Amino acid sequence: MSGPVVEVQGVSKWFGGVVAVSDVSFTIPDGVTALLGPNGAGKSTMLRLLCGLARPSKGTVRVLGRDPRTDLDVTRLIGLAPQQESVFEPLTAHAFVRATAVLHGVPDPTAAAAAALGRVELDPADTRRLPTYSKGMRQRVKLAQAIVHEPRVIVLDEPLTGLDPRQRSHMIALFHSLGGDGRCVIVTSHVLEEVERFGTRVLVMTKGRLAASGDFREIRALMDDRPLRLRVRTDAAQALGGALLGAGVVVGVRIQADGELLVDTRDARRLAHEIPRIARAERARLFEIRPLDSDLEGVFRYLVER
Amino acid sequence: MTTAADTTHGPRPAPLATLRQLYVIVLRLQLTPLRVLAIAALGAVAVLLGGLTRRDDDPLQATAEMVAGYGITVAVPLCVLWLATSSLGDLVDDGLLVYLWLKPVARWQLPAAAVLAVATVVGSLVVVPLVVAPLVAGTSELALDVAVSALLATLAYAGLFVALGLWLRRALWWGLAYLLVWENGIARASEGASRLSVGGYARSVLARLADVELADAGRSLGLGVSVLVAVAIGGLVAATIRYRRAEIA
Repeated sequence: MSGPVVEVQGVSKWFGGVVAVSDVSFTIPDGVTALLGPNGAGKSTMLRLLCGLARPSKGTVRVLGRDPRTDLDVTRLIGLAPQQESVFEPLTAHAFVRATAVLHGVPDPTAAAAAALGRVELDPADTRRLPTYSKGMRQRVKLAQAIVHEPRVIVLDEPLTGLDPRQRSHMIALFHSLGGDGRCVIVTSHVLEEVERFGTRVLVMTKGRLAASGDFREIRALMDDRPLRLRVRTDAAQALGGALLGAGVVVGVRIQADGELLVDTRDARRLAHEIPRIARAERARLFEIRPLDSDLEGVFRYLVER
Repeated sequence: MTTAADTTHGPRPAPLATLRQLYVIVLRLQLTPLRVLAIAALGAVAVLLGGLTRRDDDPLQATAEMVAGYGITVAVPLCVLWLATSSLGDLVDDGLLVYLWLKPVARWQLPAAAVLAVATVVGSLVVVPLVVAPLVAGTSELALDVAVSALLATLAYAGLFVALGLWLRRALWWGLAYLLVWENGIARASEGASRLSVGGYARSVLARLADVELADAGRSLGLGVSVLVAVAIGGLVAATIRYRRAEIA
């Protein structure tokens, strides 16, 4: 399929007075697409809307040209691994995945469940019930039930949570394999480094809005290019600030009431190299240099505000 | 695994196969040791009471009154309430509904599976002991009448309380209030209000079938059966409407 598999047009979702998703539009083609954003950005709500689990307050969602909220047939083309950890406690992994296969009308649900569990490196013959499974094993069971009916669109909400590094590598390879099969795989994450391995296509959400979309390398470059704010504790804030500005190492300087210096730089490496020399020249003593706003939330905020 | 291009999506899954699967899932979720023990204990009480009514001067009348007063008025509605409000309510609370909602299965099937699962548990652990009670009491001619009236009551309450579990938060407490305040209070004191009492219609079915006089059981057999079936179906429809509109977390 060459056109978009998922189309989201002007979608908003609010719960009472809380806006979870605000006027978001995008399309998703086949292959792996990462939906990136900090916790509370609206990623899970967006996935619920994509799967028809929730109704948009405004706008439209189409999966393969159909409304996932009202068209029962399109649910056969979607596989979802939700974020929540809860599972059917009385069931074994195979019984759970087999039940999913039966509800999707898979011709041989027993064999399909065994195959799906095998793909996520779990033993279909394991007779233990799901509550005895580790968090990582449950994640893989959820993934198995999402792919057991070989869906066209696979939606995975934070699927790597709880997995060890080897399992993560295996799962990421599996996502690529599924995407390479001509499926549309949508994966959410709040970890930037994780997304880098998912693929090149990224949607960035923060505070319910689409902050950026496109090739991961371009977005990463934007993120790396943003000004970095640092706090400098010194006994000569005014002199040091002026000298840093004069040397072109920083693009902005603010002296706080407590005498601390806030500086903005586009080249943190150069600042780190130059600041001891400039401080010596200005006879300023440096007590502390601490980056502010360097967490992922700050990165996303920059993307929204730029 | 085939490629997506190979994937064909033929007709929807067979309704009976999906209903059976949903039934098995809901049933297994309901069968916790605590519930089974508690409900079985309530059922066992009916057999003990049946043994006591054997000594009565009119064991047939006494057994019918016991089944109506304890079985249909207390044991059946309480057990159904406990199971039915939790059958789908627990799925919602535990975040498990997402696994059942995103399936090509007609929306009426999950509430129907819940009603059937509740009827299975209460039928096995409460209705069967209620049927055994007349046998113990030496009034075996009552057994079939008890089975019919208790099963109809089970289905009607199951439809009602499954719907309640989807429509209301704290459905268990609302259900308890309905049983205590309405069915066993207002409906017994007022002829008009008794028309809205499931228990009253179930007791009427038992009274007409067994040809005995029972308190708060003045409806005809036809009306009693019709209303109980209508309540079961109405509850199922209400639950389906709510489930179809639900936003799944």
